[in-house]
Amino acid sequence: MPEIDPTEHEISDLGPKVNQVEDADELREMLELEESGEDRTPVKTLIESRIETLEAEDEEPEDAGAVDLSEKTAADVGNLIRDIDEVEELEALLEQEESGENRDSVKRLVQQRIDSVQGSDDDGEEEEILPPEEAHPELDHPTADKKHVRALEDGEYRDMWVYCETQHGELLDVSKEMLGKARELMDGYNEDYDEEEKVVAVVIGDEAESIAEETVAYGADLAVFYEDERLGRFRHKPYAEVYCDMARGAGHPYGREDRPEADWHDYDEPRYAIFPATHNGRDLSALVQAELDSGLASDCSDLYIENEVISNPVKTGAKDKVEFERVLHMPRPDFSGFEYSTILCLDSPRREFHPQGASVIPGKFELPDPDPEREGEVVEHSFDLDESWLDVEVTDHDRLEGGVDLTDHEVVVCVGRGIDRDPTEGIELGVELSETFDDGAFGLTRGVITSSFQFDGHVEQYTGEDRQIGESGQEVEPTLYIAAGVSGAIQHKVGCEESDTIVAINTDEHADIRDWSDYYIHGDLFDVLPAFTEAVESGSVDAALQNFGAVPAGGGDDD
Amino acid sequence: MTEDANDSAAVRTDGGESTMSEHEHYEAIVVGCGPGGAAAAAALAENDVETLVLERGVDAGSKNVSGGLIYAEEAAPYTIDDLFPDFREEATERPAEEYKMHNVSGNKVASFDLEEIHHGGTEWCDAVLRREMDSWLADRVHERTRETGGGLLTDVRVNGLLREGGEIVGVTCDELDPITADVIVAADGVNSELARDAGLMNWDEPEDWFQGVKAVVDMDRETIEERFDLDGPDDGAAHLFSGDLFEGVRGGGFLYTNEDSLSIGTVFHLDSIAEERAEPQDLLDALLTHPLLDQWFQGEYEELEYSAKLVPDSKKVANPSPHSGRLLLVGDAAGQMQAQGPIIKGMNHAVSAGGLAAEAFQDAKTRGDPTLAGDLYEQKLEGEGVMDQLRPTRYEATSWLSESSIATSIGSAVMNSPIGRFGVKTFDGLLEKSFNSPFVLGMIPDTKISYVTVPTVIGDVLGEPVSADNEIEPPDLADRIGDLTYDVGDPHIEVLDNSYEASGTAVTACPVSAEDFGGGCYRSETVESNGSKERVVSLDTQPCVECGTCAVVADTHWEHPAGGKGVEFKQG
Ligand SMILES: Cc1cc2nc3c(=O)[nH]c(=O)nc-3n(C[C@H](O)[C@H](O)[C@H](O)COP(=O)(O)OP(=O)(O)OC[C@H]3O[C@@H](n4cnc5c(N)ncnc54)[C@H](O)[C@@H]3O)c2cc1C
Ligand SMILES: Cc1cc2nc3c(=O)[nH]c(=O)nc-3n(C[C@H](O)[C@H](O)[C@H](O)COP(=O)(O)OP(=O)(O)OC[C@H]3O[C@@H](n4cnc5c(N)ncnc54)[C@H](O)[C@@H]3O)c2cc1C
Ligand code: SF4
Repeated sequence: MPEIDPTEHEISDLGPKVNQVEDADELREMLELEESGEDRTPVKTLIESRIETLEAEDEEPEDAGAVDLSEKTAADVGNLIRDIDEVEELEALLEQEESGENRDSVKRLVQQRIDSVQGSDDDGEEEEILPPEEAHPELDHPTADKKHVRALEDGEYRDMWVYCETQHGELLDVSKEMLGKARELMDGYNEDYDEEEKVVAVVIGDEAESIAEETVAYGADLAVFYEDERLGRFRHKPYAEVYCDMARGAGHPYGREDRPEADWHDYDEPRYAIFPATHNGRDLSALVQAELDSGLASDCSDLYIENEVISNPVKTGAKDKVEFERVLHMPRPDFSGFEYSTILCLDSPRREFHPQGASVIPGKFELPDPDPEREGEVVEHSFDLDESWLDVEVTDHDRLEGGVDLTDHEVVVCVGRGIDRDPTEGIELGVELSETFDDGAFGLTRGVITSSFQFDGHVEQYTGEDRQIGESGQEVEPTLYIAAGVSGAIQHKVGCEESDTIVAINTDEHADIRDWSDYYIHGDLFDVLPAFTEAVESGSVDAALQNFGAVPAGGGDDD
Repeated sequence: MTEDANDSAAVRTDGGESTMSEHEHYEAIVVGCGPGGAAAAAALAENDVETLVLERGVDAGSKNVSGGLIYAEEAAPYTIDDLFPDFREEATERPAEEYKMHNVSGNKVASFDLEEIHHGGTEWCDAVLRREMDSWLADRVHERTRETGGGLLTDVRVNGLLREGGEIVGVTCDELDPITADVIVAADGVNSELARDAGLMNWDEPEDWFQGVKAVVDMDRETIEERFDLDGPDDGAAHLFSGDLFEGVRGGGFLYTNEDSLSIGTVFHLDSIAEERAEPQDLLDALLTHPLLDQWFQGEYEELEYSAKLVPDSKKVANPSPHSGRLLLVGDAAGQMQAQGPIIKGMNHAVSAGGLAAEAFQDAKTRGDPTLAGDLYEQKLEGEGVMDQLRPTRYEATSWLSESSIATSIGSAVMNSPIGRFGVKTFDGLLEKSFNSPFVLGMIPDTKISYVTVPTVIGDVLGEPVSADNEIEPPDLADRIGDLTYDVGDPHIEVLDNSYEASGTAVTACPVSAEDFGGGCYRSETVESNGSKERVVSLDTQPCVECGTCAVVADTHWEHPAGGKGVEFKQG
């Protein structure tokens, strides 16, 4: 009969009791009692997990002295030494490695472990930290069986990594904005902490090299790129795999075994990692930060690095207050920008959270001017893609219409609702006139775009919203602006009043447009436009204006 | 505002996204920060209820229009200055001391004093401009609700109710993720999307609504005090207008003095505007250009803002049971807008209802069952006499008679007969008296006789001719639209049937559209399809002032624009 009969206790006070039981058999008896009695799942889980803990403790760790390190990869070593708490034992391993393979990565891992074991000895007072399931048995722990713990122990972290997204072979503006910001942050960082850490640009794609070179001009100290023609379009699996492989230094316990040492990457993982909060950037940032087992502050609107004193016990362990150094502060809008939270990604006493990761809203940071003189290193990353990562194929893609650009033309012809009698013909006449000029464009008032006019198929390409001129459309300033059947509303006027010469064609002598055009032709556009086209073809605009008895109108400011 | 990283509430130190799988939850959500919403939020906050207020405007008040007299009634359960003590000093214009009614017939005008009814039972009554008033209220509301753990968010449009298992549990928004609450106070004004969503109000009948149109006119304070004969800044005037200056459309006009501007407008029965195919801007201009107004304009007219909004007629639509589950309707959203003859009382009732809704929730909580809030609210509206003001039984008793057109034409004939007219003369003093009777005003039927014939006859028989020439020129629609501020978003109104029969009324009734005007929201057009010509309407929502008219008179799918989008009133 065990000392404690669980069925006689509330779940909430069982936790501490169960955790004091040191005998697994006694626990098994308790489990049986519970099963035949109340049979409460949380209680059973509690007892079972205590049994597991005890059994794990009992298992003898592999005798380190008997291990042959030369047979093990750095990752294996990393796993092995995690269970070793004796400094002597670790030092023996270190010696073994030095006289054997003498791999830097392995030595660093062992040394780190030594440091951490010694460190934790220093403050022997430290309270035992229970796994959350044991500490709070009254709660349910939906993530209790999470297996994917890949955080490092005493990892070494350096540099700020900037994922530079591209589109159609060009850096996105947000990539440049992040590089500029990263430059500013790391300059300050290196000064404040007397370090020499870098801004590292990451470029992945089918034409990555030339872009990697470009990133230097925007502030990168080093650009690492991975080029593969199959990665012309973003696909999250291969991109995430490549990024994580780049990010993990040689000897990383969860990294690829044959990852070579690299001078520029003499650390385990990036200290900071920033991504654009674009569709692809959000996707990638989530996968990468999850794989590296850290956190992510998404859609940030600002970034800064400061020390921070924290009193939250989850982060400080037993201590009252701890000053965390070099903390990336990541303010982000909540409630779509009505309130802000500042997210911090801090190591916990038992678990490291690095890289400190953020995705950044495009347009939040200044677009830096490139400095072609800047120097930096460009490094190619080599890594074999697994075919299965490419299972998702992009079978088709479409580039959304950029729309019609009406700015930067010599002449713009615009028609308004005056075409209502025969809208299709009205469009045709306007387009024809615009085409008689070497550099003519054709636009519309909003009135036409929002009308119920029915257009024949062949002119439909000329009737879209992308041709709207005015306050809520495009602003144009050609040498010559011809407006036919346009009343001249203020919202239209602001889109064209800077034109050198404005000619209005209207049946209404009192139309507002007369007040702000240079020439006014009183007439029906269905008559005037074709004749005007003819006159321009055979002579000049001036001649055409004279032909039609154009009269100087109100707005004669020839600027 | 950037929260300090040490403020533990705002900082998540796990480096991860909030893992909350449930919706954000507040004890109370108040939708809309007009007088109804502000009152509800203030009263909730007073009881320490965690309250989130959502307002679609860039600023509270940027969407709102009132004629502008806010009443504090002696018998009201809540007045605005009960809830916001400095209200009168900080947020109002001038008190309406003088209160006159002008009966117009041609250029003859008979003026009555309506001060007896205006001041009777009134603690005070001030003119307000809504942008200033509402944003002042909003600042207080934000301060107070913040202390409860909530706050006021502008630029957020609530677009529907969140339901779980058929029960209303929260709201959905254009800009935010769904939010749940124990109580939802919909104070979202006329054309309440929430009331519609809950099936508590519909937008079908033009008879249920008035349309208010208004111009704010610039005039410096000395000039106002001189021309209206006022004793300094704590004196003000209100003038009402009725008679034949509105082409037979049922309704009237108003003029209120502000600190350094005038609010001048019209309020008409929407069914009458629709039937007469009246152009609201022309009706307003008819008032503005009437010779009677020359004494105040003296040839100068500078319009600061043109605006419009529907006004519910509580006599017909005030919902006696304005709640459903956790949802309580307050103010215009519940149709609680009382037109007592020419006297318009909406803001004060919205305040009362907001206070009562908050009180009901508190009571329900005390009883340990927040779901009782709706029933308690209904009882309070009844018990405090608010419902009786909104839907007077005597109106219900007379309406069947006076609304029938036979009665109207008989009445009309009588009034126009020599005997009827003689009667007006003999009863001169008595007429003024009966206008001052809340009883008579409460039962004034919505007919042409009361709105047009009687005042016209009074004006004609008793009136003195006004000899002045009023030569001011109000701006045309294009200029009025041009002077408004818009942040254009996606179209928020969709015409479901664009035939002229179904939706053509909107071309005239929309206060920023007109026949033969290409720059309005609704334009009538003739299109040729398959050889036959058809008259249709087209719609561009850019100039829309969100008055709600076409939600009722045309075949549309009507919503408010997204948060912060659409028109922004600076005066209101
Ligand atoms: C916030 C906001 C933003 C806006 N943004 C824009 C914008 O970016 N761009 C824009 O264009 N508008 C914009 N508008 C709309 C603008 O106010 C006007 O409604 C629009 O420009 C009118 O278009 P229109 O001149 O084609 O039509 P109308 O105003 O209807 O004018 C038609 C003209 O054609 C003349 N006409 C008729 N028949 C003939 C004929 N046979 N021959 C010659 N003349 C004839 C008429 O006399 C009339 O002057 C905006 C409005 C708002 C409120
Ligand atoms: C021309 C005219 C003259 C008037 N004269 C007077 C008068 O002299 N005296 C008087 O007392 N009353 C008058 N009224 C009536 C008065 O304006 C209303 O009764 C009063 O404003 C109602 O208050 P409320 O709080 O219910 O709604 P509102 O004041 O309309 O406030 C509703 C609020 O909710 C917001 N909102 C709406 N939908 C949403 C959404 N989906 N999501 C988020 N926010 C939303 C709006 O932006 C607004 O701020 C007049 C009205 C008009 C049009
Ligand atoms: S479009 Fe409709 S809601 Fe907008 S102003 Fe016109 S009538 Fe009012």
